[in-house]
Amino acid sequence: MTRRGDCAQAEKLAGAVALGEAGNAERDAYRSHLAGCRQCLDALGGEREIERVMAVAARARDSESWEPDLRASLVRRTRPRRAWALAAVLAAAALVVGLRITLPRDFHSPAAPAIMAQEARALAALNTQSIVRPQGRAESLAVGTTTVSTAFEVRVNARGVALRCVITRSSGYRALDDSVCRAAMHAHYSSH
Amino acid sequence: MEACHTADATALAQARAESLVLGYQTKLARYVRRMVGDAEVALDLTQDVFLSAYRMLQADPSRELTAGWLYRAATNAAISFIRRKKILRVLPLDREIDRNTWRVDERSAASVDLQAALARLPTDQSAALLLTSYVGYSSSEAAAILGTTADAIRQRVCRAMRVLRNVMKEDMK
Repeated sequence: MTRRGDCAQAEKLAGAVALGEAGNAERDAYRSHLAGCRQCLDALGGEREIERVMAVAARARDSESWEPDLRASLVRRTRPRRAWALAAVLAAAALVVGLRITLPRDFHSPAAPAIMAQEARALAALNTQSIVRPQGRAESLAVGTTTVSTAFEVRVNARGVALRCVITRSSGYRALDDSVCRAAMHAHYSSH
Repeated sequence: MEACHTADATALAQARAESLVLGYQTKLARYVRRMVGDAEVALDLTQDVFLSAYRMLQADPSRELTAGWLYRAATNAAISFIRRKKILRVLPLDREIDRNTWRVDERSAASVDLQAALARLPTDQSAALLLTSYVGYSSSEAAAILGTTADAIRQRVCRAMRVLRNVMKEDMK
């Protein structure tokens, strides 16, 4: 075996030590290699050093307290719908639905209360209309008179659940763009 | 008749999927968070994994979905996300972990060191390190999940361990 091959084998032995899977023969082989290979000794360390380093992963795991609860969102996403038969046909690929929302003239006012008022109307419009169309078609939702528009795309899975929202043309108001996407993400998308 | 059968299959799929979620949601989400370094993304990807499981169970309620299947799907989802976004999983030099991504009580030296090392590793080494020393699979089990050999897993773990060791050495300086 070449020296390079020895070092590659030593890596596997060190991995076995790291995972607590090395038997006596493997530990002996590793020690034997380290005795003649300064490079591996420096790079990998001895058995105790390996075990000391690997204990970090276990300590990191044990220090974690994050406990997300996915049940509510999954129930929402798996709830049976009448459109299920059609959705199953479309299950192979998510639909990209392009939507456009238009907003009234007075929305240009940068004042926060005005934005909030228009945001509420936009949300109401989005949440009460059936806005699903086949891929590539756009739906306009008029709210008041038309002056400002925000274009966005919602990626919808076959069950009609919004997965992602991207602003494709900004209204110039970050708060509005964000609220439009929030509304779009909460809208109901049926596949008929 | 057909409608009854569909309803039964849906109920059975939901029951089995819920059992999987209850048993693995925390472990799987934590694993994905370590892989991608972001809690929000981890939640999205983990949800997608469970949704895939649900759909498979709905299509075939008798199908056996093991923890290994979940981890394989989660690993693929995480690697796919990292490639798609071409994200650099690099932490700031001061190793300050984003408050929105990690809980304050998880910012232990070990947690920060591990994440700093993961940010430098190729995804195959991250997955090997996490599936074994973090999740608790043996090299053979991790090999089955990742579709490789136990020797390859041991080698990847060794290389990951080298990087983690270097991170710890930098802390000492």
